[in-house]
Amino acid sequence: MTSDVRDVLNIPDGTSGPRPAKKQKLAAPRPNLKGLAREVHNLGGDNPIAIVPEVTHFKKRRFASRKPASRWELRKFRNSARDDSSLALRHWRRVDGKLEGEPQEQAPGTAGDNAQPSKDGIEDSAFAKYNVQVSVPQYSEGQYQQSLQNNDWSKEETDYLLELARDFDLRWPLIWDRYEWNPPATNGDMNADGDESKAVVPATRSRSMEDLKARYYDVASKMMAAQKPAQYMTQPEFALHELMAHFNPQQERLRKEFALNALTRSREEAREEESLLLEIKRILARSERFNDERRELYNRLDYPRADTDINAFKSSAGLQNLLQNLMSADKTKKRKSLMAAEVASPTAPPGPQQVAAAQEAGRRESTVTSTGPREPVTAAPTPTSTAKKGQQEKPERRKLTTQEEVLYGVTHHDRLGSGPTFRTEKINKLFSHKSNQQQLRITNALNELDVPNKLAMPTAATTHQYELLLGAVNSLLDARKVSDKIDAEIKVEQAKKAEREKALGLPDSGSEKKEEKKDGEGDDKALEAANASKDNSEGDETATANPASEAATKDAADTAPTNDASEASSKSEEANGEADKNGRPESSHKRSASVLSGASDKSTKRQKK
Amino acid sequence: MAPQNQLGKRVKLTQIRRPFIVGSTARPFSDTNPRPAGVPDNHTHSWEVFVKGLDDTDITYWLRRVQFKLHESIPNYVRMVEGEAGKPFLVGETGWGEFDITIKLYYVNDSGEKPQTLYHYLRLHPYGRTEEEKQAMVTTHGEVRSWSYDEQLFNEPYEAFYNVLTAGAVPKGWKPSGGKGKGKNRAPPALPPADNNDVWEHSAMIPAHNRPGQPFSLETEAAEIKKLADAQAQTEAMSKKILAELKTKEELLASLKAENATAAAAAKPS
Repeated sequence: MTSDVRDVLNIPDGTSGPRPAKKQKLAAPRPNLKGLAREVHNLGGDNPIAIVPEVTHFKKRRFASRKPASRWELRKFRNSARDDSSLALRHWRRVDGKLEGEPQEQAPGTAGDNAQPSKDGIEDSAFAKYNVQVSVPQYSEGQYQQSLQNNDWSKEETDYLLELARDFDLRWPLIWDRYEWNPPATNGDMNADGDESKAVVPATRSRSMEDLKARYYDVASKMMAAQKPAQYMTQPEFALHELMAHFNPQQERLRKEFALNALTRSREEAREEESLLLEIKRILARSERFNDERRELYNRLDYPRADTDINAFKSSAGLQNLLQNLMSADKTKKRKSLMAAEVASPTAPPGPQQVAAAQEAGRRESTVTSTGPREPVTAAPTPTSTAKKGQQEKPERRKLTTQEEVLYGVTHHDRLGSGPTFRTEKINKLFSHKSNQQQLRITNALNELDVPNKLAMPTAATTHQYELLLGAVNSLLDARKVSDKIDAEIKVEQAKKAEREKALGLPDSGSEKKEEKKDGEGDDKALEAANASKDNSEGDETATANPASEAATKDAADTAPTNDASEASSKSEEANGEADKNGRPESSHKRSASVLSGASDKSTKRQKK
Repeated sequence: MAPQNQLGKRVKLTQIRRPFIVGSTARPFSDTNPRPAGVPDNHTHSWEVFVKGLDDTDITYWLRRVQFKLHESIPNYVRMVEGEAGKPFLVGETGWGEFDITIKLYYVNDSGEKPQTLYHYLRLHPYGRTEEEKQAMVTTHGEVRSWSYDEQLFNEPYEAFYNVLTAGAVPKGWKPSGGKGKGKNRAPPALPPADNNDVWEHSAMIPAHNRPGQPFSLETEAAEIKKLADAQAQTEAMSKKILAELKTKEELLASLKAENATAAAAAKPS
């Protein structure tokens, strides 16, 4: 069949090699072929037919083993638990004849393994073993006198109680029910009169079950301890002893009363109780929340604690940061309080609480916004507390004592850039901020003073001292500069004087005279300026003076007339008297006058156009 | 700023200092310091450059490793020295010339700080501004020391690093390899008095007195301050003198000017 199919489909190689499927078939004919005819199966070709033939099973016969029915007989038995040993009862038992094992197995419930036949052939009842006698504590007269004395209980009554306990196997309700202690009428006056022996009858006391129990347990535990000291008891024994010794009748009574009440309440009462419990829960949650909020409020009102560093908030950047913190903290808190309200009262109507919380949050926000920017100093403590709350999961930073701060070299500064630096850098900066010329001068001055320009030990103290020294050196250099300048001017004046005296008869030009006068004024001003700003370096001045004078010469024609001149004008004196007036004002009191003079340069050019 | 989360915030406006010594010691080859095998003939000295704690205390709790950039002519001239607790960061070499050594300090990971660079000039020969100083330099066996004290300042350290830096101070004797641990108060690490002569581990202490091999102490500092203060006083005196002179000169100048001006004014009308 398959080969035909192959022919139709024009698949070659149909017969050339044995197909593996066929081979398998040949090798292991399938076992599940049973239900189908071989031809039918062959129709499937390679893939087997999925029809599973149903196997018909018939019910097993119920009585597979045809054994004869076992025999039963009516047999006599005794019950050893009973007092009346003469009573003989009978019950049906299987006759265990030839087959010993089977009946034993098949009827374990009825026969029981304990039902061994006694010696005389009459077996004992299977229930005899459940007749267990309670072991009630026994005590002698001496023991009672020694340890069991009780004002409330006479020995007779105790005896009676124990007897009842034994009789009713410690079934307390029974004992309590049957407890009828009639104290024997004591002889009020036995010696005096025998007739009046029954005269005094003590009033019967009604004992509650708890009283009975308490007495019994008391006696039992004491006797137990008397027989076996507590330290030798085994674990369960000791537990029992403890339990009995610590019996609390009051608590038991309360427990029973409570149970009784709980069982007898009506449906309405139960519902009311439930609602009350819910109410209590809600009240507790609310009070907790209220306390939390109050604490928070107190924290806010609190004087800022000294252990947090407020310095961080003294700068404007710190304040800004703080405001941000406050806002974010407030936002999260608002959300949290809302959530808390929801959690606290899942069943309660969501009306008043949430509204209150929202109001509160709003109020808080408004206070923040009102106090935040306006009174930054008073607002400063608040963020510290809130920030602290936020960081509570982190370990608090240790507060160092002053001694520790010295030990660990911890110092606090008003302004500090973050990151590691070296102490020597600071000194280097003192130098590198100066111009090269000034640096050279400072080094020369220090050499004069026999101070190395590198510290042997750049600590905080030495660095500070070094700064002071450099300040002094700078002022010295400034003083020298000024004095040099004045020296030069004196020379100029002296030269002028000499010249004038030489050419006494000759008349001076008006412009020259004017120039001299202005020159003098300018000098005074320059001197003042130099005294005022000690950093003012000569290098700067020369640098500014030159372009200024250049500009002046260039734009000599159309300069706006301005005020005064200084010593540098002596250079441009020859060029043009009026021109240098233009460049002067900047260079006399501006340090970086080169830029400004450049600007003035441009402005003059613009004017020209 | 990336590791801010793990390290906490920066502790604002707080600075923690740690003194340390960076320096070099050079010895010329001699009988006592024989030339090791394989050293070129033109090498004249053996030297070592180091970064270490004051009084040889451990600094590896804040300094992780040090990169020494030696002269390019030295083979493998960038040397990375990883910290080893209780030992200085040290590179030993031989050579004949002096040069600037670039020293880059890498801080422990807890610090979250970038490495910092400082420079040290290797000295092989006695140096100083005067002959006396040079003479003073020469010690036994011609050893030349160029040691400088410096203080590492951690400005606004991260909280984690702050905690590292401000805890765990113990007397030096507590460390078995402490060397000169003379620690008197060895028993409980109660805080030491401020003028303690022994430097504690994990602290920023400076010893009170000099001792051989440890030239940096509070004594030295005090002497330096005194010297600087003297120089300052001298400078101030000088400038005072100059200012006084200046006054007389100004007066002279003013009189001269007045004279010239009157002369000029007299000449003008004519």
